[in-house]
This record gives sequence, structure tokens and C-alpha cells, in this order.
Amino acid sequence: MSGRLAFLYPEIALFVATCVVMVLGLSRTLKARKASAWVAGLGLVAAGVLAMASTPRMGQASCPISGFVYHDGLTPAMGQVVLAEMVPYVKVMIAGIGLLLLLTMAGTVDREDEARIAAGQAVFDPLRSNRAEFYAFVLFSLTGLMLTASADDLIWLFLALELTSLPTYIMVAISTARNRSREAAVKYFFLGALGAAIFLYGFALMYGGTGHTNLNAIAQHFREHGVSTLSMAGVLLAVFGLCFKIAAVPMHFYTPDVYEGAAPQVSGFLAFVPKTAGFVALLLIVGAVGWEYAGHSAGVTSLFAGDGMEPVKHAAGGRQLPELLRLTLWVIAALTMTVGNVLALLQSSVKRVLAYSSIAHSGYMLVGLIAGPVGSTFTTNGVSAILFYLAAYGVMNTGAFAVLAALERGRDAEGHVGEAESFDDLRGLCASRPMLGWVLVVCSLSLLGLPPLLGFFGKLPLFSVGIAAGEIPLVIVLGLNSAIAAYYYLRLAFTPLLDAKDEGSAAIQAAPFKGRAVAAALSAAGVLVLSLAGGWLMTKAAHAGAYYPSAPVKAESAPISDEPAPLPNDVHE
Amino acid sequence: MLDGLAHMLVTLGDGGALSSGIARAAAGADLIKLVPAITLGATAMCGVFAAMKVKSKLPAWFSVASLAACFGVVLAVFLGHDGTPRVAHAFDWINFSWTISENRASVTHDLVSNFAFYVDSLTLLWMLFVTGLAALIALYASEYMSHDVGAGYCRFFAAFNLFVFSMSCLVMGDNLLLTFLGWEGVGLCSYLLIGYYYTKDSAVAAGKKAFIMNRIGDLGFVLGLMSTYVAFGTLEYDRLFDLIGRGVDGAGQPITGTWVVQVIPFLFAIGAFGKSAQIFFYVWLPDAMEGPTPVSALIHAATMVTAGVFLIARLYPLFAADDAKLALSFVAWSGALTALWAATIEMAIFDIKRVMGYSTISQLGFMFAGLGLLTPTGAAYHTFTHAFFKATLFLGVGAVMHGFGGQLDLRRLSGVAWMRGFGLVGVAMLIGSINLSGVPGTAGFFSKDMILAQGFTTPGTTIWGAQAVGWILLVTAGMTAYYTFRTYFRVYVGPKEFTPGEDAHAHDDHHGHGHKEDFDPTTAEFDPHPPGAPMKVAIGLGMALTLLAAIPYFMGGHAARGEHAAPGGWVGGMVAHSSAAYNTPHEGFSFLGLTSHAAMYFISAGVGAVGLLIAAYLHGPKGWQGLWIGNRTEAATSRADALVPLLGRVVTFARNKWYVDEIYDFLIVKPLWVLSHVLYFIDQWVVDGLVNLFGAAPGMTGKAIRPTQNGELHGYAAWMAGGLAVVLLVVILVAT
Repeated sequence: MSGRLAFLYPEIALFVATCVVMVLGLSRTLKARKASAWVAGLGLVAAGVLAMASTPRMGQASCPISGFVYHDGLTPAMGQVVLAEMVPYVKVMIAGIGLLLLLTMAGTVDREDEARIAAGQAVFDPLRSNRAEFYAFVLFSLTGLMLTASADDLIWLFLALELTSLPTYIMVAISTARNRSREAAVKYFFLGALGAAIFLYGFALMYGGTGHTNLNAIAQHFREHGVSTLSMAGVLLAVFGLCFKIAAVPMHFYTPDVYEGAAPQVSGFLAFVPKTAGFVALLLIVGAVGWEYAGHSAGVTSLFAGDGMEPVKHAAGGRQLPELLRLTLWVIAALTMTVGNVLALLQSSVKRVLAYSSIAHSGYMLVGLIAGPVGSTFTTNGVSAILFYLAAYGVMNTGAFAVLAALERGRDAEGHVGEAESFDDLRGLCASRPMLGWVLVVCSLSLLGLPPLLGFFGKLPLFSVGIAAGEIPLVIVLGLNSAIAAYYYLRLAFTPLLDAKDEGSAAIQAAPFKGRAVAAALSAAGVLVLSLAGGWLMTKAAHAGAYYPSAPVKAESAPISDEPAPLPNDVHE
Repeated sequence: MLDGLAHMLVTLGDGGALSSGIARAAAGADLIKLVPAITLGATAMCGVFAAMKVKSKLPAWFSVASLAACFGVVLAVFLGHDGTPRVAHAFDWINFSWTISENRASVTHDLVSNFAFYVDSLTLLWMLFVTGLAALIALYASEYMSHDVGAGYCRFFAAFNLFVFSMSCLVMGDNLLLTFLGWEGVGLCSYLLIGYYYTKDSAVAAGKKAFIMNRIGDLGFVLGLMSTYVAFGTLEYDRLFDLIGRGVDGAGQPITGTWVVQVIPFLFAIGAFGKSAQIFFYVWLPDAMEGPTPVSALIHAATMVTAGVFLIARLYPLFAADDAKLALSFVAWSGALTALWAATIEMAIFDIKRVMGYSTISQLGFMFAGLGLLTPTGAAYHTFTHAFFKATLFLGVGAVMHGFGGQLDLRRLSGVAWMRGFGLVGVAMLIGSINLSGVPGTAGFFSKDMILAQGFTTPGTTIWGAQAVGWILLVTAGMTAYYTFRTYFRVYVGPKEFTPGEDAHAHDDHHGHGHKEDFDPTTAEFDPHPPGAPMKVAIGLGMALTLLAAIPYFMGGHAARGEHAAPGGWVGGMVAHSSAAYNTPHEGFSFLGLTSHAAMYFISAGVGAVGLLIAAYLHGPKGWQGLWIGNRTEAATSRADALVPLLGRVVTFARNKWYVDEIYDFLIVKPLWVLSHVLYFIDQWVVDGLVNLFGAAPGMTGKAIRPTQNGELHGYAAWMAGGLAVVLLVVILVAT
């Protein structure tokens, strides 16, 4: 068991921090509860450091902190093998961007109460304060996200995904005092449950098709016996269910409503955390299937004939996903990009634009998933491209949401603090609040993918890997969609920069929370630094995307292996 | 004593005894990375000062200190340099590689352009005078720009530091893309600083003109850069030089006689002409004199405009790889004609700062001619000496502008050197002038001689019409002596007389100094404002460096070890260890038993003396100041006026700069204006219509699918389930 723990040091650190935060949430003084944010930050830093230092890596004789030793040189005895190298990368990325997100969370809950206490109009009531619980939810969700990356088993994966999502439903509900947040939370919860049901059903069918829940065992089964119809149905259902997490068509409907209903900082959290969880889970599932099948260029006539589903050991034509999975993902990717972008065109609310564009970005990343690891370099490995894009998207998107979170308009009739929501609210922001304005300009242009900003370097490998995999039509769709995205991202960049301030935007003021502005500034700085000197991150991503399709697998224990698995070929009848 | 100093410098240059020990241990080539870091940091600090609304000379002192530190760094690296090119890698910038299969073999291509610096002797030669002069001129500007202390002061020094940063990227880049980044960076800073007085229409127009003319040249650079990548598959100099040295392109095919050597050098030459204001492109440089004089001295005389010379010297292997030397012949002829053309204009105009501007163009022509005549050493040495003496001349002219309310008309100034506080300026101008006109024994004399003599040494079969180029340059050398001393005799010596300039209409706006009333030209009590200590120190140091610049000529690179002295002395030794190394032809004509260079000493001295004496006769004051042949008694008139009717329209034409601006306006600007309106019409009605049609498609798609997004939970769940059902249906249909 100690071997498995070696993978989990970051999660343990984060969980300990979560417990401390929850205990702080029981304290009777406001001061102690205010410490919860700092504890959460410390926990994330510790998790990041541990992820960097303690995670066992391929080809490493032993691990520095955990003392974990690999069996057989290349093969870890635990953890999933196929994409093992991505685990530390993903966890460090989660810790880093988690810190940015944590900064944006300043003042999200209990604002009114604490303002009254500060003004001497009320005394601190331990029962009414949600502050520590809110930070605990943030940490729970991030813990779940890290556990997703560690998963080597379908059951573990399901639990980790739910741990990621469940706290976010509550975070959406309590993020503002308005009814629309509650409405958003309810929608998010029910649709999320539907999505979870779908991928859980998919997992069940995968187990039915292979007789394993262990991802390594499933991968080995697929390598040896091919993908049976039942397993393929399971994989497709899992993919569809996970489309909910990444907000891809046809599971994207909730996105704009939920993002609009939640406070901007929580929307920013939703745009990164569940999306990352979804992509990591997709990589695990699709990676278990593998990109080892005879390509469409090799002249496969039947989509589902047994031959086409067999992994090819030494592919002469292209290597790719099983044709049916490829086609499904292809259609999802094309639709997701297009639907996200064309609907973003029509919006006047910045949050809705960012929500639809978040859909579109998922579509872009799916190109990397379809292409897969064509080669091993940064520009030829779709897995690396996704991993890099996730980090880039996390930084620049958090910056955009942090700017929205750092702005507010005066109270409305019901006493609620208004949000800076529409494009009109942002007019002349570069003149009135230069720092926030320029952060928004930089982040929007980066999200657009304008060279030489970070977003461009994120999108470039998606293009190159698409071309390398021979997915030319999809790359053309990707290019067209990047052009459509220019329309609304340029609007988002130029409204603060070029439009003059008017009476509408004059009502906009800075939110009284330094953390949000700091998060915005850090994001923009991150975008600029990574744009100019992001080579190291590309190298890391290239390593993290390493793909071991045929590494000998040693499952610690094949769970429930004494049960006879249904033979894959039986299902055909 | 001079011998001792020379010997010491030789040993330093050779990386010998003195350079060992501490200096060497501390100064690896990696240290050079500090230069861009310091200058970029200083730029940021000037921005911070502006944000803090600093109302003192702090930005200036900060800039002087950081630029001096840069000079120290370059000097330390130079002392530790052993002549072998090194690459100092700062960080990865663009670093891609990809593998494609070509004819069943997988070939790996890459695009590598990192922030890495190529440190060879050529780099160090350029960096030494760039950072040294930048520190000096920043010191000068601290006083010169003092009328603008506050926001403008910060802006000036921010752009000034950014310029040095860009220049260091240009000169030190280890790949063409980084060089190009610096190339555009210096262009940007030049634009910002020419238009420094942005409320003045003429300054804004001059900034735009410089920017646009430079972009046209840059087109050549960009095309050259891309062609280089296409041909060689790399932009990094060390790999590029290795391939050229082996005579093959990136695919291993021989390059001799192909487009690679016949076309690419022309493209880079066009780029160099734009930046260095050569023929067809030069018109921006005289107008660039609208900028503050320190800018003219540093950017538009000493450093940036020599970037073109540097580019060709850096890529000399590529230029020299062509057996027919077509591009180098083109460079030689362009340089010679530019030199002559600019000299004719200088002889006629009256604005002393513009005289210096045209003189820079003319001298750059000499440098290009040197490159074309196969003596990169001569070109580099002339760049080196020109940097010092032209900077000194500009600093002197600046002191006059500073002192006389912006007066620049040589008919309104006389005997400035005799006025109180201007003695040093007079001496500095004399020293600058004897260098520019090539009086024997000066640095300018030796460096110009190397190029002139080469005109008669390089065989005409190698460089087309080399002798004709030599004759043109020789005539131009005489004209140079004339126009240089024309200014000197008119402005700096003779009877004391002046009319103060009208502040508002001057090239530089001078508001203040706390005695604004001085600048009222109607009052007779105008008090010339002599330069203060910082300006004097800068002028004095510039003057001293100009004088010292002659010494390297006598420091044979390897003379100390008993080898043959490399031509061009120390600079020759530096160039010989760099990318610009070239086996310059020596055996040429001999004259009265002297070698070509020795003979040219006498010939060019004679030609220069004729020019100088004509200037003295036509413009010199009475008595010893006019060498006893002049007879000028007042500022406004001289014997030359009598010549104007004789020459007729020629003078008018030259005075109006041969109407080149007007010709460009008629031939290029007007047709473009018409074309742009025609195209605008087409764009407005035809192209936009189509674009709008296509542009409407996404919007219409969005409107069509918008109803799905109705905000109802049931609806969403139904759509999700429906989408899933459709896919499962397809799966079942396909699978069974």
C-alpha cells in the first residue's frame, strides 16, 4: 500500500489542509476563520512542491521523498502506465493555477456580514459564517482534481470526478446572494447528475466488456483482444458523460447559464477545474483505448469490423483511435468549437462570452485528443498539446475572470452588489483602471491566440499535431473557428482600450478585495512571461505527454478478477 | 609612451598577459547577457520614474550609470575574449522541431531562434563604441534635455535605454531573427526620438518618414531572412556560417551560382540601405535631424545608421560566396554614388545640423563602398572612427544650438569659438572637422585611406568598375574637405557675430533654463548660453576619443609576435577573427615606388588640402584664421556668393536637395494616393460585400441555434439525452 501512497502525497497534503480549514470553520472568532484562506494557500503550495518532488516518474530508479522503487525499470507497479508521465505535470499545474484561483476567491462569501461587523453594526455570529467552509469546498474540489490525475481505476476515477464536482455545486449556490446563483446551482446540479450517470454507465459497460476496472488491465485487454462492441459502447458513453465536465456539445447547455449565475471568480473556477478534470479523465479513458489502430488512410471500409478495431503493432498507414471513437470525437470537436464560437458572437454579457468561448476552447483541445501522440516532440504530441493548453488556458482565462471579479457596480434596489457584466461596463477601463484594463487586453488577446502571446503557443501544437495526424479538415475547422473567435475577443480587448468612458461605465468601481486584482496582475504577468520565455513549460509538457502504449503492465491486483468476464466476442451475437 | 600604450592595447586585444587573471576569470562571454538585461531594466526604471512623477535629473544619472556599467561589461568580455566566436545562451525563445517524411525518409527540421548572443570580435567592436558613446551622450543629454525635466525627461531616457537594448540585440543576436528584432527595435526608438517634440508638426512628419522609409528597406531584410531560412533551414549564425563555409545549402546542395548567393545578398543589401540611409532611401535621415541633438549624435550618426554596415559585415560570408560578386559590386556603387550625391547637397545648404546629416549619409556611403570593395576591415574601421568624430561634431553643433536659441544658419553665426564659454566647442569642432575632412595623421584620414586605396587595388574584374568607384570616392573626399571647413570657417572662426534663433521655429525647442527672456530675438541683449559641465565633459571626452581613435591603426594585430601587421591594425585584427574576415586583395597599383596605401596617403592628403584651401579662400575670415587667403568680414556674405550666379540653377537645385523629395512625391506618393483611393472604392463595395456575406454566416448560425439555449432545465436535459440517443442509435446501426 505504501507504493500507492507514493502517488498521493500531494492529495494528502491538500486533504490535511482541508481538514484544518474545516476545523478553523468551527472557531468562535472571525480572526481564526480569516486564517482559512492562508491555510488553503499553504496547502496548495505544499501539494505543488510534493507533486514536483515526490511523484514517481518513469525511468527513475527511486523516488526522492517516498523512497518508492519501480519494478522492472520502466514500469511502475501502481498507477496507470499509459500516460504515467502526465501525473506530476497535471498536479503542479493544478497547484499553481489553484493558487491564482484562490486569490480571486477573496471576499466571495459573508461579505455583507463582515462589512456590518467591521462597521460595528453587528457582532460576529459563528453560526452565520460560511467563510471557512467555502475555502474547504475549494480545496475539496482541487483535491478531487488531483485524485483524478492519480486515478488508475474506473471506480477511483468516478469518485475523484464527483469529489471535484460536488463542492462546485454549492460554491455556485452561495457565491452571490442572488436568486440567479441558486437557479444556476440547481441547473448545474441536475444536469451534472445526468452527466455523471452517463459516464458511470459507460464505466460499467467498460467493466462489462473487459472484466477489469483497473485502467492498466483494461488497456492491456484492449491491446490483446481489441475493443469489443460492448466496451466501445462503454467508452463512448464515458466520453459523452465527460463532455459534460469539459462543456462540449451536446452536454454544454448548462455552461452559459451557470457561468452567468455564479460570481465571476467562481465561474473562473468552473472554467478551469471541471474542465481539467474532464480532460484528464478523457486522456485516461482514451489513452487506455490507445491510438494504435489502423488509420482511415489505410482504407478501412467498415467502421466496426473486427479488423479495424484491432490494434496494429507496426502500423504502415496512419495510427489512430478506433474509427468509431475517432469519428465521434471528430464530430464533437467540430460542433463544440463552432457552437461555442457562433453563440459567443451574439452575447452582450462578458461572462456569457467567456462561457461560450470556454466551450470553444474545449473543442480546440479535443483536436489534440483525436490526433494523440503522433510523435514525441511538443509539436507532434496531441497529449502534450492538451496539457500545455490546459495550463495556458488556466492562466489567461483566470486573468479575464479575475478582472471581472475585481470590478463591481453600486448596489441595486435589493441591496445586492452589482457585477461588471456587459461590454458597456468595460468602456475606457484602460484609462480609468490601467492595471485591470491592460490585464484584460493581454488576456483577451492571448485567449484569441494572437502571436506572440501564450494562447498562440498553445494553439500552434494543436494545429501542427492535427496536420501530423492527417486530420486536415478538422484543422481547417479549427482555423475558421480561431478567426470567428477573433471577433469577440478583439471586442473584449478593444472595449477597455479604445472606447471612451461613458456614464454607464463610470458607475463601475474596484471591488474592495486586493486578492482579486493581484490574481489578475499575476495572470497577466504569467501570460507575458510564458509568452516570451515559456520554452521550459513546453519542454515539461512534451515530457508529460509521453505515451507508453505497450509497456508491460503489472496490476497490483486485478480486482474482482475471479469473476468470469463476459467474452468480448460474445457480444456480437 | 605611445608605443607602450599601443603595446599594452595589443596585448589586451590578443587576449594575452594582461587579460589573464581576474579579468579573464570574471569575464566569460556569458557576462555579455548583462548588457540587454541592464538596458531593459533601465528602460523599465525610467518608466517607473515617469509613473512616480520624478521631477529631477534622476533618470539621466541612472541611465548614465547603467550605460557605463554596460560599457564596463563589454570591456570585461572584450578583455577575456580570445578571438573564438562564442554563443552566450540567455533563454529559449522560439525553439521548434518537427519531423516529416520525405521520400520515405523522415527528415527533422527545426526553427530555432533563441535569446542567445553571438560573441565574436565584430560584435565586441561594435558593442564597445555603442555602449561607450551611449554612456557619453547620455551624460551630454542630462544637461541638453534639462529644459524638459519631468515627464519628457523620463520618456527621453526610457527610449534612449530601449535603443541601446535594441542595438545590443541587433549586434549581439546569434540568429537573424533576434537581429531583426533589434533592427525593428532601433527603428522604433528612432521613430520615438525623432518625434520627441510631438507637438511640432515637422518632427512628427519626420518621424513618420523615417519609419516608413525604413519599413521599405525592412521588406528586403524580411525577404532575405525568409529566403535564408528556406535555403539553409536555419537562422543561427554559427550553423549558417558553417554551411556557407562548406559551400552547401541546408539540403546539402552546392550554392555556387544558385539563387542563394545571387539573390539573397541583394535582399539584405536593400535592408541595409534602408537602415543606413543609402541611395534611394537616404531622404529620411536629413529630416531625422528634427530630433534632439543627442539623438542625432548617437542614433543618426554614430550607431543605428551603421547597423546596415554591420549587417553586411555580419553576413559577409554570404555576400562573398558569390563568385561574380554581383551584390558586392552593387553595394560598392551604391555607396560611392550616395557619398557623391550627399556631398553635392552639403556644399550648398546653410543649415549646419543638416550639413552634418548629409555628411553622415556621405560617410556611410564610404563605408558601404569599403564593404563592396572587399575591405570589410576598412569599412569597420571607418565606422569606428566616424562614430567618434561625427558624435563629437554633433555634440558641438548641439552646444551651438543650445547656446544660440536654436540658430543653425551658418550665415547668421560667426566666430563662435571666440565667445565666452565656447572655446572648448571650437576646439572640438576643429578636431572633428580635421578628422571628417581627412587631414593627415587623424583617425579619419587613416580609415578613409583604407577604403580609397582599395578602390585602386581591388581588381575591376572582381568588383565591377572598382577603379571608377575609387575615383568617385576620391572626388568626394575633396568635396568633404570643402564642405566641412566651409562650416568651420563660417561658424567657428572670424568676427564675432550672431543672430539668436527663434525658439519656436528652431529644430529643438528650448523652454526655460530659467531665463526665457534670453530667447527673444528682438532684444539685443541676448546672452549666448555656454554649455555646462556635463556637456563639456562629454564634448571633451568625445574629442579625446576622436584623437585616440587613430592609435589602433598602428597596433598591428600580431606585430608583437613578429608576424605581419594585419592591415587596419587593431581593428583589422578584430575583423580578421570575425564573420567579416576576408582575404582582401593587396597587390594593386604602385605609385612612385610606394605601395597602394602609402601612395594614397599622399594623394588623399593632396585632394583634401585642395578642398580645404578652396573653403578657406571662399569662406575663411581675414587674416590667420582664414589661412591668410580668406577675406570674409561678416557672417552673412562670403566670396562664395559670387559663384552662385556663375553656377546658375545648379546651386538652387543642390540647395533644394535636387528636389528628390518632390520627385518621390510625384513618382511614388501621388500614384499611390490615387491607387489607394481606387482600391478603397473596390474594398468598400466589392470586397467588404463578400466579407460581410461570409461574416454573416457565423452570426446566422448562432441565431439559428440560439433557441436551444432557452435557459430551461428540462430543455437542456432533453437536448443532452437527445444528443446521446442520436449517437447511440448511430453506433447500434453501424455496429449491427
